[in-house]
Amino acid sequence: MNKTLTRNFAAIAVCLALCMILAACSADLSLPDPNRASNPLIFGPEQRLGDNEKNPSTPFLRYSPDGRLFAIWTEDHDIPWPQGAQSPTHQHRSGDMTASPMRNAMLAWSADGGKTWSPPVRVNSNTEAVQGEENGPKVAFSADKRTYVVWSIPGEKGDKTRANIRFAMDDGKGRFTPAQTLNEVKDTARFPIIETAPDGTLLVAWIDRRIDGPKPRQLYLMRLSPAGKALTKNYQVGEGLCECCKLGIAFADGGKTVYMVDREVDGNKIRNHVLRKSTDSAQTFGAPVEINNDGWQVPSCPHSGPSIGRDSRGQLHVSWFTLGRSEQEAGIYYSVSKDDGKSFAPRQLVQANTAPETLYATLAVGNDDRVYLAWSNLDNDNKAQIYTRILAADGRTWSPVQQLSRAKGNAGRPVLALMKDQLHVAWTETDGEDSRIVLRSAKVEQ
Amino acid sequence: MKKKNHRRLFPSIRAAALRSLLCCAVVLVFTSAIGWAQHVQHGTQSSAPNVGTAAIDFDLRSMDGSSVGLATFRGKPLMMNFFASWCDPCREEMPLINEIAARSGKDGYAVLGIAVEDSRAAIMQYAQEAKLVFPIGLDLNSTVKRAYRIFGPPATFFIDAQGTIRDVVIGPMTAERAREGLKKAGATL
Repeated sequence: MNKTLTRNFAAIAVCLALCMILAACSADLSLPDPNRASNPLIFGPEQRLGDNEKNPSTPFLRYSPDGRLFAIWTEDHDIPWPQGAQSPTHQHRSGDMTASPMRNAMLAWSADGGKTWSPPVRVNSNTEAVQGEENGPKVAFSADKRTYVVWSIPGEKGDKTRANIRFAMDDGKGRFTPAQTLNEVKDTARFPIIETAPDGTLLVAWIDRRIDGPKPRQLYLMRLSPAGKALTKNYQVGEGLCECCKLGIAFADGGKTVYMVDREVDGNKIRNHVLRKSTDSAQTFGAPVEINNDGWQVPSCPHSGPSIGRDSRGQLHVSWFTLGRSEQEAGIYYSVSKDDGKSFAPRQLVQANTAPETLYATLAVGNDDRVYLAWSNLDNDNKAQIYTRILAADGRTWSPVQQLSRAKGNAGRPVLALMKDQLHVAWTETDGEDSRIVLRSAKVEQ
Repeated sequence: MKKKNHRRLFPSIRAAALRSLLCCAVVLVFTSAIGWAQHVQHGTQSSAPNVGTAAIDFDLRSMDGSSVGLATFRGKPLMMNFFASWCDPCREEMPLINEIAARSGKDGYAVLGIAVEDSRAAIMQYAQEAKLVFPIGLDLNSTVKRAYRIFGPPATFFIDAQGTIRDVVIGPMTAERAREGLKKAGATL
């Protein structure tokens, strides 16, 4: 009896061992990288940004040189219309059958790592339909604490695809200067980004359509002085861009080298992401280098652009969404260039799509060369949520996928800010006609 | 004695081997099931609403707050167009879609717009600006977009009077494709 028991136990033990081996093999096959050296981050509770009554959305986060965390976002306009001005329809409120597309760009800062926030300041001087989603306002800073903001507004006829780039800077008295339009040809520009170059000047980039075909859109730049004066006219540095995706930018060599990423579209409507490199302070750019031949052929408008970061070793990290050549390929991908943008390593899958959906990804690079990624994907209830994952400096070891949001409706378009050991992730949650901004922070190992 | 032990040993080895094989089979089935479940969870499902399949019904709010779904249009061919106010190719095709919608009453079909990834305010403004003449369902939570597997607008489905999808156009519409789609859906143009 004892012998039989022993034999049975031995058989069960063998089976359990086999089970574990097979399970491990199965995990190996289903994950992009089995190594899990990085621990999941411990995020603090959810915080809200903006006035929830005004449907805040589309946050963008950035640390200023003095260590304050800034957030900029859009929310409904509720300021009375000036006398004599033509008013649009009533202010939007949930359940209200009239709605106004007028939105403000709101800016606030936190000096304690996002725990408490200053009262928000309205950036746009005019009443405007400040655009959000992939096209939301962005902020940059000078070394002497000046704040600069760019955003996009629809063109004269209300057309968001024939839009204008607006710029304002703080006036030193807690308010913002009247906005000026940067694109010299009216109703042609959108998806602006602004960066303070290491020399202190400002570089503004956007997608332009002043040459309206036969090639798709153009990449335009403009340089401004720290006082907000134009140092250059608008100038074209690239063409063939997809019409509806955000841009990414990174600097090196004191601003002499500039890297930009965007999504291109060719004559067959194949959309691949590319890197453009300048070695003359963004005056000219070399031929675009394909990050990966995803082969995503789509004649429609998936509204999701790439993200880039550069680490202390000079490696360039890029993340993006693609459907690839079939829905089974769809997901968030990552790649790295270790030769200064000449070529990219084979892409790594960060997370596959769980359902047919265009996803949004962003990344930030830490001082320790770790790469932090955040993106949206659908959960088991078919609701979009925010996820994060860390890639170790070895470029192979991934932390487990971590879900950050528990949105009742959908969560989308995450943004990241990283300073020393503080990581912040913000995103927009929508539920029907309501939206809100959620921020979560974590301490990261350095 | 040795022989006896030998005889007893072999049946017990065979039994143990059988037990092991059985357990292995169970393990294989179990791990295959896990693998399949992971594939279903992480891969995309392939239940796309294709030509010849029944169009998935839904219930959305229109801009005036009334309910709109496929049932509203059952009994006549329907051209259902997914669009967004920020979408370039949508804006390019919209004059054509609107023109087709303007003729729909006379020609015995219907046109329905499904606004995706947009706010009601933005869509209302766009509808006014573009003078849209067809009803619009506000897919504010992206449920219909996901059901119809739309990765990016525009996309147009042509649905016959019985609710079966007869044609699909991903990307911008042309007059020829619209005519073809409507005919396939049973419209007499």
